[in-house]
Amino acid sequence: MTKSTEPKNIVLYADDDMDDLELVSDAFHRYAKNVEIITVKDGSQALAYLKNLGEDDPAPCLIILDINMHMISGKDVLSRIRQMDRFESIPVVLFTTSSLPQDAAFAKRYDAGFVTKPLDYGQMEYITGQFIDHCTEEIQRNIRRRS
Amino acid sequence: MKLLEFKLLTDEAQLDILYKTGVYIGKRKLKGKTILLYQADSFYVEVFYKKYRYYIEDIRFSESTDMLDPYLEQIHVEHLVE
Repeated sequence: MTKSTEPKNIVLYADDDMDDLELVSDAFHRYAKNVEIITVKDGSQALAYLKNLGEDDPAPCLIILDINMHMISGKDVLSRIRQMDRFESIPVVLFTTSSLPQDAAFAKRYDAGFVTKPLDYGQMEYITGQFIDHCTEEIQRNIRRRS
Repeated sequence: MKLLEFKLLTDEAQLDILYKTGVYIGKRKLKGKTILLYQADSFYVEVFYKKYRYYIEDIRFSESTDMLDPYLEQIHVEHLVE
């Protein structure tokens, strides 16, 4: 019997805080069978990753962006992503320490989710579910199957 | 909310308020542990982690701006003078 190896769903996460990169990677660990999380340390790396994807390369099913990054902020990355034909409707979540209404409004304007970074792991588990909820229904089912 | 009222809440309720309305100010490390500083209304709250954003070891409060001192170096003020 041949075992099929379906490609994993790619989640791209940009954050300049190493602790947060580790936190989110850990949180997705329970979905490791179905999700590959690609972490980058700033917004320019996230944009470079997307620009360098070939036509046949799978696009991420979700992009998570910290807002307060050096060089290019998560908000700038989001607005640039929305100008890229291939990614104009890709699910994006701004993941931030901010709970400011103007930041939430910005996310809404660019059709992105807005999630405040957690204070403890109980919140992180819930937040990981929120991340996945931003993916398309098919991807959500795919990620949650036998995870 | 005043500090006295905040102090009377359970840890869970305090964290809920911090999560929903607290303003994140900064992060610092002390002896390998991570500490986050938030402002909630007119007072400051430091959250001490046993493991970053996983397990909280302690929550400390103060109305004094002295609590800001260890974080001041990390606050970017360039945009205020542009």
